[in-house]
Amino acid sequence: MATATESDVDEGIEGEEQPEARVGWRYTLSQLRKDPTAMAGAAIIGVFFVVAFIAFIDTTVLGLFNQEYWLAETFWVNPVQDPATTRILRPPLGLTNDLHPNDPGTWSHPLGTDHRGRDILARLFYGTKIAMQVGIVATGIGTIAGVIVGAIAGYYGGWIDDTLMRAVEVLYAIPFLVLVIAFMVAFGRNLTFAMIGVGIRTIPVFARLIRSEVLSVREEDYIEAARAAGVTDWKLIQRHIIPNSFAPVLVQATLQIGINILVIAGLSFLGFGAQPPTASWGQMLSVSRGYMLPAPWFSVWPGMAILLAVVGFNLLGDGLRDALDPRIQNR
Amino acid sequence: MGRATYTIRRLLQGLPVMLGVITITFFLTEAMPGDPVSIMLGPNPSLTQAAAIRAKYGLDEPVYIRFGKYIWNLLQGDMGRSLYYQVPVTEKIMERLPVTLLLVGASFVFGAVTAVPLGVISAKRRNKPVDHISRVVALIGISTPSFWIGLMLIIVFAFHSQDVSWIPEFPATGLVLPWADPATIDGASSRYDVIARSMEHLALPTLSLGTLRMAAFTRIERSSMLEVLNQEYVKLARAYGVSEGKILRKHAFRNAQLPLITIMGLQLTASLGGAVLTETVFEINGMGRLIITAVNNQDYYLVMGTTLMFGVVFVVGVIVVDLLYAYIDPRVSFEGGD
Amino acid sequence: MSEDETLLEVENLKTQFFTEEGTVRAVDGISFDVKEGEIVGLVGESGAGKSVATSSIMRLVEEPGEVVGGTVTFKGEKLIDFDEGPDGEMRPSDEMLSNSQMRKRIRGREIAIIFQDPMEALNPVFKVGSQIREFIEINRGFDEEEARELAVDMLREVGIPEPEDRYHSYPHQFSGGMRQRVLIAMALACEPSLIIADEPTTALDVTVEAQILELVDDLREKYDTAFIWVTHDMAVIAEICDRVNVMYLGEIIEEAEVDDLFHDTKHPYTRALLESIPRPDQTTEELNPIVGVMPEAINPPPGCRFHTRCPEAREVCPEVEPEFQDVSEADESEHFVHCVKYEDVGYEYAEPLETQATEAFGGGLIETDEEERGEADD
Repeated sequence: MATATESDVDEGIEGEEQPEARVGWRYTLSQLRKDPTAMAGAAIIGVFFVVAFIAFIDTTVLGLFNQEYWLAETFWVNPVQDPATTRILRPPLGLTNDLHPNDPGTWSHPLGTDHRGRDILARLFYGTKIAMQVGIVATGIGTIAGVIVGAIAGYYGGWIDDTLMRAVEVLYAIPFLVLVIAFMVAFGRNLTFAMIGVGIRTIPVFARLIRSEVLSVREEDYIEAARAAGVTDWKLIQRHIIPNSFAPVLVQATLQIGINILVIAGLSFLGFGAQPPTASWGQMLSVSRGYMLPAPWFSVWPGMAILLAVVGFNLLGDGLRDALDPRIQNR
Repeated sequence: MGRATYTIRRLLQGLPVMLGVITITFFLTEAMPGDPVSIMLGPNPSLTQAAAIRAKYGLDEPVYIRFGKYIWNLLQGDMGRSLYYQVPVTEKIMERLPVTLLLVGASFVFGAVTAVPLGVISAKRRNKPVDHISRVVALIGISTPSFWIGLMLIIVFAFHSQDVSWIPEFPATGLVLPWADPATIDGASSRYDVIARSMEHLALPTLSLGTLRMAAFTRIERSSMLEVLNQEYVKLARAYGVSEGKILRKHAFRNAQLPLITIMGLQLTASLGGAVLTETVFEINGMGRLIITAVNNQDYYLVMGTTLMFGVVFVVGVIVVDLLYAYIDPRVSFEGGD
Repeated sequence: MSEDETLLEVENLKTQFFTEEGTVRAVDGISFDVKEGEIVGLVGESGAGKSVATSSIMRLVEEPGEVVGGTVTFKGEKLIDFDEGPDGEMRPSDEMLSNSQMRKRIRGREIAIIFQDPMEALNPVFKVGSQIREFIEINRGFDEEEARELAVDMLREVGIPEPEDRYHSYPHQFSGGMRQRVLIAMALACEPSLIIADEPTTALDVTVEAQILELVDDLREKYDTAFIWVTHDMAVIAEICDRVNVMYLGEIIEEAEVDDLFHDTKHPYTRALLESIPRPDQTTEELNPIVGVMPEAINPPPGCRFHTRCPEAREVCPEVEPEFQDVSEADESEHFVHCVKYEDVGYEYAEPLETQATEAFGGGLIETDEEERGEADD
């Protein structure tokens, strides 16, 4: 028969029936799995990822061997090269337009063709790579730089905080598009600078986020305890502060990829993104503008692609937010 | 202290930000390639003309002198001269600013007016069909590129309405300012006509720019309302016999608007950016289009002026939002710091 | 002394919460009454169901909770009434007041409630005075001017200095104790017959608590209002209550007049509660906490719910559902208990049960380690 021992006292009298722990990776993933909309979002993103990856192989990797579009040409006849002019601005499957009033769309070009006769679906396919690339790289830059800046500002406070946050606010005061456009005109009107520009403009978002997290975590007792025990500042930031502020950063990063995809679409639309003949969704929309009357469906598809991709990231981000928030147990 | 002092203090706090904006734009435009002289005068300018231009804009002097000259001029209200338009930058901006403000203002009004009822209803009938629909709509709203909505709207309401009779037709380009002189607008013979035309022209662009606002506001309103409805003071009111309707309208409503107002400040910078896109799609001559033209023509001073103006609008907007917040929430005092 | 009228009669009230994890039987058949002018205590640990019980009486239980059975009669009217339908299901009866009747006639007007956290309970964006005024207008039918005057009077009554000025203050401009006074003023202004005070002093420090208790006593003398005082603090019960109900896991396990409860304790749980109150002369080793944690109300222990932590548990305890019965002597006031000890099921002859309490600490309460080892097999 058991008697009271010291270990019982340590574990607490309530050592026996603890409620199930409600934090940690395992739990978050299992919560996510139960959330149908989050899973839908993840599925959409997954599809786009696969597409982008294939496009990446087909252009960049195979490009190293001068075999761009080998995959496309082998499995999908003539999607991006210049074909016969009778094929320009064809309508989508089963529909007609003013340019081809008696000639409805066919399966060979299910979404129609663009002003140079190139298959729209194929161009959307390759545009995915651009969107994913910019979205992820730019968000990555912004997240990492922003987290560092915000963590330092929040942790040290004082004049460091003031200066850093003022700088951040300045970046924030200039509208996204305006800043990136100015940046690109100054440094280069191509995709690389677009990524960097968007990345820089993403920094304020994360700097502010982390800073407020750090400010609240910093006041917690366990931080004081650790400091009293002699833990150095840097280790403190690394081991305690950043992991605890991690959740909202993850959520925001997911959502931010979606936001940045919208931004790069806007930039491309205005002519500041990927340059023709590279396919990018925003740029396709810009071109389609000139053909709105004869071929309206041309304008529809690139927008839908953007919409779908961003919806995917938003669904996943929202789902992550719900799963990571310890308060929300029953939605 | 009072509101006046608070406002002034906030304005002063905005100055360092403005300075930062000026500095950034100045150095960005410095980095821009191209020789302003040849853009303005053509490929073979005469030496005297070129020299005159150089002297006039201080193009020969070192950077810090140019910067200093620029700030000095700024304080006197002079933002330089547009190379492309050949008028003072200030003049050009003042010409275009009201248009953009009208557009952005209309989109905010549209967003708020639709989002508040939708958010409240959504919160009240949580998890019922209405809620699900509005959440889906909001999700799509924040995921859709605004310029694409613009394109779609144009296709349906400007082009295809000509073929299909039951779709109303709206103009696809341009904006008419409601306070414009009727004589300058053809087909308008009275103030009433002008306002009507103005609404017509505003319809599609506002919808295009405002959808994202509406979606974002709806989400905030909904979650804010949900949170407020869970508060103890709402339960107390219920316990004292206050009707559900009155609770929604009076006890919960005001508290729920606070996060929305905060968000409005953040949305401001987003919608200024969106205005650039919307103005391009609808060929509206506002500041957004101005900056694109300026950038494409390496119009040095115009770019700086416009960017600066965007910054000013943002800073002022934030202050207005803060004042609004303080007006509603008595816990925010006009004393103390930020 | 005249026969006091029974104001509120609660019979077999049941409230359940329907959650993803299961059905939580938060209030599982409680019965008690409140007479005019009485202060009845409702005491128990966190999670016992006290707040749910009071919300249920007011029919303010929110999703996913629902009152599913029982009868609550107030001044003869049925606030809650369930009939058993032909299929055995409990259904709200027609005699029950409708929602709008509850709202207009009962809530605020006849029964008022004071919440635990005064900061949260007051709307931060409205002035304190106008919040009181609104409730007065609704519940007593005064016009704006009269209501305002009354509000100021009540603020003075509860001891808030300069009430005319303070009428125009916002909640955040008051201290915790002051805010609680405001809530009391709010409740009294509506002149209800019954005030439900849900842990009103828990969030306040002890000196302030004492002031509030004194105030309530004075006011009770003056206005003859009945109170249901919900708390987990036995000391407050001792100070202010006339009768006490002890709740455990959704059930009332003992009900008695306050003196009887303290001096003639019948239920092991009540005794454990009393013994667990730290006294200034005790050291840490001498403390007697109640062993274990209250189980979740989704799956309550079989038989007597307290048997898992009861130092006097015997083998019959999990088998028998005790009845709530009066165990007082003939000339004493009523004293109800819900304990197998007082049932006629052979408790005296049964073997002691191994529970958290008996396992760790032997048959009685904690003494010291050495003594335990000796008594292992009692």
